[in-house]
Amino acid sequence: MEWANDKSKGGVLAHLERLETQMSRSCKNLEDPPRETAESDLGTKIHKLRCLRDKLRAEVKQRQARIKASTASAEPDQTLEISEQEAVGGKEENMKAILQAYRFTGLSGKRTSRGVCVCISTAFEGNLLDSYFVDLVIQKPLRIHHHSVPVFIPLEEISAKYLQTNIQHFLFCLCEYLNAYAGRKYQADQLQRDFAAFLAGPLQRNSLYNLLSFTYKVEPQGRSFPFCARLLYKDLTTTLPTDVTITYQGTDASSTSWEEQRASHENLFFTKPLHQVFTSFARNGERLDMSLVS
Amino acid sequence: MDETVAEFIKRTILKIPMTEMMTILKAWDFLPENQLQTVNFRQRKESLVQDLVLLCESKRASLRDAALLDIICEDVDLFDMERFKSSFEKILRRALKNVTVSFRDAEENAVWIRIAWGTQYRKPNQYKPVYVVYYSQTPYAFTSFCHLKSNAPLLSQALTVASNHHKIVKMDLRSRYLDSLKAIVFKQYNQKFETHNSTMPLQETLELDMHMDSRIIHENRIEKERVQRVTQETFGDYPQPRLEFAQYKLETKFKSDFHGGILAERKEPLRCLIKFSSPHLLEALKSLAPAGIADAPLSPLLTCIPNKGMNYFKIRDK
Repeated sequence: MEWANDKSKGGVLAHLERLETQMSRSCKNLEDPPRETAESDLGTKIHKLRCLRDKLRAEVKQRQARIKASTASAEPDQTLEISEQEAVGGKEENMKAILQAYRFTGLSGKRTSRGVCVCISTAFEGNLLDSYFVDLVIQKPLRIHHHSVPVFIPLEEISAKYLQTNIQHFLFCLCEYLNAYAGRKYQADQLQRDFAAFLAGPLQRNSLYNLLSFTYKVEPQGRSFPFCARLLYKDLTTTLPTDVTITYQGTDASSTSWEEQRASHENLFFTKPLHQVFTSFARNGERLDMSLVS
Repeated sequence: MDETVAEFIKRTILKIPMTEMMTILKAWDFLPENQLQTVNFRQRKESLVQDLVLLCESKRASLRDAALLDIICEDVDLFDMERFKSSFEKILRRALKNVTVSFRDAEENAVWIRIAWGTQYRKPNQYKPVYVVYYSQTPYAFTSFCHLKSNAPLLSQALTVASNHHKIVKMDLRSRYLDSLKAIVFKQYNQKFETHNSTMPLQETLELDMHMDSRIIHENRIEKERVQRVTQETFGDYPQPRLEFAQYKLETKFKSDFHGGILAERKEPLRCLIKFSSPHLLEALKSLAPAGIADAPLSPLLTCIPNKGMNYFKIRDK
């Protein structure tokens, strides 16, 4: 910076200081003496009043604290009272935690200003899945204010049958449907995620996951022809299929070994959840490999 | 046809009550209409079943067809995507030879359908297709604007029959945002529920510029809080679904306090159209009362839009 160096007396900062003193000097010269004193008088008065206000506030606070302390010290069992308070506080925390943990039972609720908000937490094989809510208004007749149940679950049918007459059964029925749906969905998702290598094509499913159609192989790199599986879950409250059709399109479709396999597969799908069926396929494959190695 | 299949079909049809026989056979869509008409449905059930089984044999029903009939007879909605697609396309082709139908499987068990309409003498116009998004096992389908209005009933019929659903009804709900339509129709917008697990307090107290100088007093603080509370009760805390219009077609008699006004004398109802438009209509309505432009609570005609799932209204005198 050339101009600062030109001044040659201390650089930029010194220059700024000089400008500042120059300005304040010229300001003082311009000021109107009488107005200035009047303004500054008011200013100092305001300042004084504010200080007084703050002082008084502080004193009030002090006195209140002293009164509290004195009443507290007047009690003989001061320590006992504090620990009782702590105990109550601890119990409250405990209670809150228990209410939160009720979620894990699958069916929990909370009182609302209108009635109660029921929470259905679904689970399958020990895995906690989605939660669904039904906000009930306690009136005559009992009605649902709003809910997060998916539209393909027959909520209207279930509430038409049970809501007014037997609310326990209504909730139980809804729980069944939702848990079964969540379980079926979980199985399909697991199959797609963990056993994609066994699938020879896309997994066809619908919103309710009650009709699944897919082609699969027993070995991921198998040279064998794939099997076609069609699983129907006609009972919407179950997580295992009611109908299983396995077909085999290989050239040696008539051979007994394939027929045996087909029949055993059908049985597997009837009795085990989807992903467990494929786990056993994988394990059988491993066993085969082990025997080859040895 | 296999004997076991014939027996299976016979037993399945026997289970169907006579009142639903025609509906179920039509939904099965295996025996064509003209053949069904040759059958005498007024005879005894056993003879009717025999006739139907003979027809099935002549058409060589397979085990799969028999299984399909069984599914339809059950109350359970077993939606088969492949069957839906073939049924849908068949129905359209039967009515219109010149039509192009294509499908694409999308997320959440929805299927995107593209239809290019033609006429009896003209090939399908590929530049003006209609798109339909159908969610399986729900009574909802979303369609894009159809230029040829005459094809709309055919489209809805195809959807109804192919999806095995009760009549799919046209809703008065339109928007450019498919996600918002989904949110309204599947009720996914109002997701605030009271639980013990919520950490945020439900009632957010109004924060009126606490940082401002304490010497400033809000004279209408109570009214402002009331407006805020009413707005929150009506619209909730969640982001509103996105709509661009709300249209009200009025056919009502003019009501006026001034007797002897010109319009007050009219016996016929006044016809006028009121249209609200906005890049985000529901958020705009939500901000009306807090901004001081309208009184709270707002008219129920405005606030009922997401609940009723409609933004095109016709209002007549009761």
